[in-house]
Amino acid sequence: MSLPKIARLPSVRLLSSIHQQQQQLLLPSVPPLTGPKRAVSQGEYRRPGQPKVDKFPWQPINFGFSKGFEGVKKHLALLKKEFSDRWVGPQGKPILEHMLEQNQVLWEFRGPESLEQWTVSSDQEIGGQSEVHLKLGKNHNTCLLYGTLSSTPPRDGETRYSGYCTMRSKQPLASFDRKKHYDWSSFNTLHLRVRGDGRPWMINIATETYFSHQKDDIYNYFLYTRGGPYWQDVKIPFSKFFLTHRGRIQDDQHPLWLDKVNTIGFTLGDKADGPFQLEIDFVGVCKDYAHTEEFAYEVYKRNPEI
Amino acid sequence: MKCARCLLQLQCLRLVGQSARSAAQHGALLRSASSSQPDMVHNTQVLRRFHGSPACAKRPVPAEFINEDDKKRDKSLVAHDDLFEQVAKEVKTKATFNKVVDVFIKRDIRRRGHVEFIYAALKKMPEFGVERDLAVYNKLLDVFPKEVFVPRNFIQRMFNHYPRQQECGVQLLEQMENYGIMPNMETKVLLVQIFGEKGHPMRKYQRIMYWFPKFKHINPFPVPQQLPEDPVDLARFSLTRIANDLDAKVSVYQLPSTDITERGEQITLPHIVGIQSPSQMELLAQHSPNRPVFVEGPFPLWLRKTCVYYYVLRADPTPPDEKVEEPFDPERCLAFPLQLDLDLDRDFGDEESFDVEDLDEGPVFAMCMTSQGDQAVLNQWISGLQQNNPILGQVPALFRLDAGPRELQGPADTESAHHHRTDRPQREERQPEEDEEPRRSQGAKW
Repeated sequence: MSLPKIARLPSVRLLSSIHQQQQQLLLPSVPPLTGPKRAVSQGEYRRPGQPKVDKFPWQPINFGFSKGFEGVKKHLALLKKEFSDRWVGPQGKPILEHMLEQNQVLWEFRGPESLEQWTVSSDQEIGGQSEVHLKLGKNHNTCLLYGTLSSTPPRDGETRYSGYCTMRSKQPLASFDRKKHYDWSSFNTLHLRVRGDGRPWMINIATETYFSHQKDDIYNYFLYTRGGPYWQDVKIPFSKFFLTHRGRIQDDQHPLWLDKVNTIGFTLGDKADGPFQLEIDFVGVCKDYAHTEEFAYEVYKRNPEI
Repeated sequence: MKCARCLLQLQCLRLVGQSARSAAQHGALLRSASSSQPDMVHNTQVLRRFHGSPACAKRPVPAEFINEDDKKRDKSLVAHDDLFEQVAKEVKTKATFNKVVDVFIKRDIRRRGHVEFIYAALKKMPEFGVERDLAVYNKLLDVFPKEVFVPRNFIQRMFNHYPRQQECGVQLLEQMENYGIMPNMETKVLLVQIFGEKGHPMRKYQRIMYWFPKFKHINPFPVPQQLPEDPVDLARFSLTRIANDLDAKVSVYQLPSTDITERGEQITLPHIVGIQSPSQMELLAQHSPNRPVFVEGPFPLWLRKTCVYYYVLRADPTPPDEKVEEPFDPERCLAFPLQLDLDLDRDFGDEESFDVEDLDEGPVFAMCMTSQGDQAVLNQWISGLQQNNPILGQVPALFRLDAGPRELQGPADTESAHHHRTDRPQREERQPEEDEEPRRSQGAKW
């Protein structure tokens, strides 16, 4: 079950660490103002039209000493933090704070290093023509996601639709690249402060799953922006999120389990070709006592079952 | 091969005897037979007699079918794309689209090649402008032969019965879904007739009917399907949308008009529509006259698939040393106190505001939309605003305009527009004596 995962994941991680390290080597003083991009091809499937990489899989890996040293330093620091956090309380916070907090800011954008927690990707991965960029806003305390959407499908004979741009948070990692998850089970609402240009977006939440065929299961809801010069506070209850798999809404719905959340993403794909922008101030979760709904969609067995 | 040709010739001879066809028809048939292409498909009216029932053979062929065949014969090996091109040469409308579908239905009683035809029709729908028309989808679904693909025993039901046809039906429903068309009862009846109660297209239909009504009205900022044609109405709609204030008042400073001067030149006056709310007027009145206000833009606003541009009048945030805390006037509202200083025992569990620092980006005083965003036109807007906001006479207004709405033309030159964005915007002063210290161009506001 996990064999392909084992084969795939470490190389990706190694690659990303090389990438970061190269950036650090090349630009030691100037911090990168733009967010990281996802590598163009991530999966094992080579799409038609993509050039063949005639390299052995170990060839792009950097086996240098300095990289190993950096890695040891980073992971030992993370390990130390893990141990010391336990003495403070759960998740590194005092127990009273952990129990009583009504809201939590998860991501805010207050500097170039905050963009490191996000990756952007667009349909260039499948041969499309959309462009997406991530950078800090005007006053360096917001994040601006901008680019051009183009829904021309690639002429590869098998792709029918195209045109999406995505920003996704990175999977949090503990020391030695173990997966860490967000635990939002004491909250029930997602709170965003955004400023868009009138386009509808989609919010994707990916949670940890058990079986490998569930790895593309994602919970979605819509984010409608008003447009205009004013900021917009959006509160979306987690009960509204519905389950999709590879972009298809599923018949068998169930509520989003908030105890192991991996990533959150924003996707644009409204088929309106042209430039777009979305400015995000912060992403947080909060507890809304007025909201008591557990799940917005039917979970009973339908007859006839669809 | 030869044998087949002989047989055909025999058939034709018999046909001549039977239905007394014209000689030309006969010749054409021979020709098509000798070419021995799969274009026989289109001559099925004739070929059917090989294995058709005698009753079928005796039935006279209706005249219009023959004519249809005649027309197509020279190009009988056509993809269905070409059928669309042939029939709808001059105009591409719903009527011609329906005509093509009719031609296909009438051409062959067995609807041979209907899957390819439906795929081709789905692809052509946006060209004919019928992609949002439910009746056309139903008509296209009607092309499928009825009751042929309905599974008749449990084995057929268990396995994928007629998978290509079912895929095609699902594809049609998916295109409806993509354009946001909700199927109706007629669609359901057709699907049941074609694929049975539990085929994949029926499942797709049920899914659409389950999810569409759930998400139909969730947009809190709805945009009508048909946007107003008139630019002034469109500007009014979009300005009230972005202003988000029911008290805000839209004023039209200039209506679009075309004048012809005495020299014969045509002058087009652009429309200028602005919006300002009382609270914005109050903010502007409190603005200190020695700090400038900025006219910035254009900023895009998307309403479904159209993009409009707006301009804002704003100022930089007040520096912290100049901020004055205005005490609340207790008599401003007698119904309830505007300020409460209660010493409640609020602990951490009652803290409900987020721990983020507020963004102070400076106030926005007014917004406007115009079709031609150069400085002269926006100056007109500012002078129009001055009637209600006399302070604008003393405050210097700086124009920080990006290169015009290039993106409006199409996605081809958006790249250049982006470069313009990041470039220094044009900075021009309205009152030249008010030469500020070189304020660094801050790029676009976003």
